[in-house]
Amino acid sequence: MEEKEKEEEKAAGTVSRRDFLKDAGLLIGGAAVGAAAGAGITYAVVEKEVVKEVPGKEVPVTGAVEPAFEPEESRVMALAGNISEMCQVDVKNGKVIRIRPVHYDEKYTKEELAPAMWKWEARGKTLEPLMKTLPSYFQVAYKKRIYSPNRILYPLKRVDWEPGGDPAKINPQNRGKSKYKRISWDEATTIIASEVKRIQEKYGPYAILNKADSAHRERKNVLGGSGTQTLWLRATPGFTSCYRNADSWEGHYWGAEHVWGSGNRGIIMPNKNNPNDVAENCEMLVIQGGDWETTQQSGGQFSGRVMRWYQELGIKVVHIAPDVNYTNAAHPDKWIPVIANRDDALYMALVYTFLNEGIYDKAYVDTHVVGMDKISDYVMGKVDGVAKTPAWASPRCGVPEWTIKALAREWASKRTSVAMGNGGSKIRGPYSTEPSRWECVVLAMQGIGKPGRQQTQGPAIPDRKVSFSTGGATRGGGSPDSKQFIPKTLVHHAILNHSLEKPVSWYGTTRNAEPVENQFVKYTYPIPKAEGGTEIHMIYEDHACQIVCWNDGYMYLHAIRSPKIECVVIQHPWMENDCLAADIVLPALTMAEGEDFDICGKQMPAIAHYKQAIKPIGEAKSDYEIGAEIAKKLEKLGGVYAGAYAKYTDGKTTEEWIKSGFDKSGAQTYISLEKLKEKGYFPAETRPDWQQQPYGVRKFYEDPVKNPLPVPTGKIELYSARLAENFPDDKERPPYPQYVIGGPASEGWFHDESLWGERAKKYPLLLVSNHPRWRVHAQYDDVPWFREIPTCKVKGPDGYLYEPVWIHPKTAAERGIRTGDIVKIFNDRGITLGGAQVSERIMPGHIYQDHGARLDPISWEDSEYDDRATKWINRGADNNVISPAMGVSKNCWGMATSGFLVDCQKLSGNEYEEWRQKYPEAFARDYDPAYGLKFDAWIEGGT
Amino acid sequence: MKVFVIDVKNCTGCYSCQIACKDEHCGNDWTPYAKPQPDWGHFWGKLNYYERGQIPQVRVAHVFVPCQHCDDAPCIKACPETAISKRADGLVWIDPKKCTGCQLCLPACPYGAIFYNAQLHLAQKCTGCAHLIDRGWKEPRCADACPQLAIKFGEEAELKDLIAKAEILHPEYGLKAKVYYIGLPKRFIAGTVYDPGTKEVVIGATCTLTGQGGPFTVTTDNFGDFWFDGLAAADFTLKIEKAGKTKTMAVSTKEEDKGLGDIPLS
Repeated sequence: MEEKEKEEEKAAGTVSRRDFLKDAGLLIGGAAVGAAAGAGITYAVVEKEVVKEVPGKEVPVTGAVEPAFEPEESRVMALAGNISEMCQVDVKNGKVIRIRPVHYDEKYTKEELAPAMWKWEARGKTLEPLMKTLPSYFQVAYKKRIYSPNRILYPLKRVDWEPGGDPAKINPQNRGKSKYKRISWDEATTIIASEVKRIQEKYGPYAILNKADSAHRERKNVLGGSGTQTLWLRATPGFTSCYRNADSWEGHYWGAEHVWGSGNRGIIMPNKNNPNDVAENCEMLVIQGGDWETTQQSGGQFSGRVMRWYQELGIKVVHIAPDVNYTNAAHPDKWIPVIANRDDALYMALVYTFLNEGIYDKAYVDTHVVGMDKISDYVMGKVDGVAKTPAWASPRCGVPEWTIKALAREWASKRTSVAMGNGGSKIRGPYSTEPSRWECVVLAMQGIGKPGRQQTQGPAIPDRKVSFSTGGATRGGGSPDSKQFIPKTLVHHAILNHSLEKPVSWYGTTRNAEPVENQFVKYTYPIPKAEGGTEIHMIYEDHACQIVCWNDGYMYLHAIRSPKIECVVIQHPWMENDCLAADIVLPALTMAEGEDFDICGKQMPAIAHYKQAIKPIGEAKSDYEIGAEIAKKLEKLGGVYAGAYAKYTDGKTTEEWIKSGFDKSGAQTYISLEKLKEKGYFPAETRPDWQQQPYGVRKFYEDPVKNPLPVPTGKIELYSARLAENFPDDKERPPYPQYVIGGPASEGWFHDESLWGERAKKYPLLLVSNHPRWRVHAQYDDVPWFREIPTCKVKGPDGYLYEPVWIHPKTAAERGIRTGDIVKIFNDRGITLGGAQVSERIMPGHIYQDHGARLDPISWEDSEYDDRATKWINRGADNNVISPAMGVSKNCWGMATSGFLVDCQKLSGNEYEEWRQKYPEAFARDYDPAYGLKFDAWIEGGT
Repeated sequence: MKVFVIDVKNCTGCYSCQIACKDEHCGNDWTPYAKPQPDWGHFWGKLNYYERGQIPQVRVAHVFVPCQHCDDAPCIKACPETAISKRADGLVWIDPKKCTGCQLCLPACPYGAIFYNAQLHLAQKCTGCAHLIDRGWKEPRCADACPQLAIKFGEEAELKDLIAKAEILHPEYGLKAKVYYIGLPKRFIAGTVYDPGTKEVVIGATCTLTGQGGPFTVTTDNFGDFWFDGLAAADFTLKIEKAGKTKTMAVSTKEEDKGLGDIPLS
């Protein structure tokens, strides 16, 4: 490899397998490990840049805590974005100095802990909780997030936006483009209150869209749970809720739930004690893309311990995905690469083999399953003349025939469970209902509920005697029921294409945990004028990631640039993503900066009280305080807004909320609030007979009549009469699963995102995008300790850190792409950039990139939206901006953000230079490779 | 004497070790033990990342490399200011007060474990979190943060059972490194055997690998898979046989691990 390229790789910390080995001899100390040890790999020494500058004098380090050994204080806290594991936060001189695991024995004796401890015994082995908590790496690094130079320091107003609704002063086309200037809290909250009043009076009570989200923002409870704005909006005449769709498990929500009823994320219910069944009885665990090592970080790193234990118990693990995801990397065994989202073809061939060889549980199917005859006819070719044999499936799913047959026979003969972990391409792509439902067919044919045959998710185990709750203290109203609402997946469609005269309709609220029957209910936006219906004209949001985490982010940006939208407000701790397109931005604090009370932990669930660790950064306020300030201003307006503040607080102080929440928590019989505050946390008691609790759907297996599933027949409905009745003409989600890959819109298809359609001729690669390893969705992109990890960022020749794009050596060679190149990922929806990592972790014909990287627009002039395929360019590399605009399918408004068509090419030096000349501002932003863009980048004249 | 024992097989690649090291040392001044680590670019404890093999036989490995706290540490000899010493408990320590930033120790360390702090004009490296150990901590931050207990730290005598199964990085350096490794990845050769006529995997095929350390023999499993692990970087001959059918091929791991993909046996 070229010398220059090598240096770049080293600087970025990236050493590919081949290059590393080839170059090993060149590295310091690069000789092989001793032959006596039979060794092969040369172990890398630490690569680093040689520092040539030699300053003469010692420079004091700013921000360092000195002297070293003054007394420290410590706080227990489950801090960080949507992660619940407890951490010990050590504080000195008002500064967080370290974040580490809680050691239970620092505050409790072994005897005191005994009721909470547990032993998980299986096959002669035992798993027990460690005497420390298992923080996620997101938490270990949280100091950098708290003190990020990307923190919003004070309230901001967009420089070319003025309240009042004057079209000439809104400049909506500049959202995402203009900079901001500092304003006071007083000015900001006055503007918000007056805009609320003006817009509600002018357009009607439902003219404000309330966007609340629990998982895409920082986890807080009394400091402000999801939707603190809901609490004050309730004190106004009304609002339109934006419902967060069941994201991350779309296929199961819209597919599997019709097979066995609604439950948690499409898993067959009940699912309690499934992990125990796996430990005791399972012989083969199939993981189809769901990535425990990333998505289950929300509970700390307990699930990684469990997965490792499963392997120690001798369970064969089979990973089926286009990519070596992080669970496969951490817990490898057998990898079966499958073309993105074509798990359906693979499953059909498994079903064919089961039928053809008679290797399934016929008796179970007779008594537990409805619709096997239709499935059988379809798979055997009686419906369309095409038998879904392994030979038929192989070119469609990319798995060799022999491996399909071997997998079918292993699945039949070994007690096999499926482990889910939210996403994975197959349940997040176009038509994801079909792979999901075909998985149901396979599970049903092998008798789901039998010992060792379950569908399981990251272990919520062992069960507690009393599950503590702090919901009674939560200060946030989420996205509550409202007369008029819009699913998050449809907001942009609703704004751009619909009005009172031309409303949009869809099925289901799209929210998780709705009964599946809700998917047959038709909703409309706007609701009829007679019922108070109005279009939305203001948006209030408490997170900041729709552009980079939802369907067609560019379209969403374009939508909120509509002149209809007169005011956009966001409260968030960091200047990122959707904040860039707001008119008012309010700085929220992080968990470390206030007092809170919450439940936490997965290994040993506990209730906890968090003392404030440090003072708020800048002028940040808690989400709850922000709402209180707005409520005070609303109250001043009188009329319908009178009493807004009292309604907001319900007359209670924060302390009183904690007290009343505690009194309902379930913990009050175990410990006093005073004692809880002193100890910081209290672990819940383990249910003594937890291991004897029913294993998942074992009871359904044993007696399906007495233990019916929540569907009309009570059985596994491979054929859904309700789907047939409600959607008789739906070829995209027919009454029983079929092979659905879409096609041209002219033929009534929602998507043409498969390798076999017309669009594939122009955009021949499938982009796979999972939940990110180094972000919680869009959060954490400014943490330098992640950004120097080779799988987190790739340093381009321009010194900018790009979001990695894994590309197989064969696909890369066809395009002349090498590791470290800046690449364009593009389709007819626009361009986003990435840094190439040539890798065997992704199949040929695909590329892989995490979702949610922070926006850094090069060009997105609203006037050029119609030419966005070539003119909208995002350097920050998030790929949701070019994901399909449409839902999973016509009647399923989930999103389809993995496994869609793109092309990927090396960005030429000429084109880069052309952009640099054309968009000098974009290349001149305040950028530090260690942190990415800084707060200053968006402030007029700097801070 | 304090040592590390790192079980590479238990590592899930979460980088908590590398991150916790930075959490402890970036922005915190532990004088007289150590001055602050720069915010970025230093890796006093580095998790190295390797991708191995080819589709579909791919493995990802992570190996944590802190200062090896050698008994015969060449950095000590290289320092003209006697700023580097081995503490009584075995931890090798750079005294930030004595260090003049001459950087002679950097190339002396073959593990590349010493870094230059240009702002402070100091050589810096893993201290074994001596400032914490001396105040009663049982482990440094990297070990404390590891959710899989893959990093163990303690007295050499107490960890002797683990050490008996372990090896050190680059023993040929002869530096008596005090970081022991269990399960360091070597080279592998793997594949899936199938019958191109019947389009079936071949189960129970005898795979014999001759070459350095061999011969080794494994049998293909129910997926037709075989996997030779722990191999040297060398040239091998692979012979696959089942029911009178034989295939012989030369396979070299000199450059890299070999995932041979699907191998027809006819």
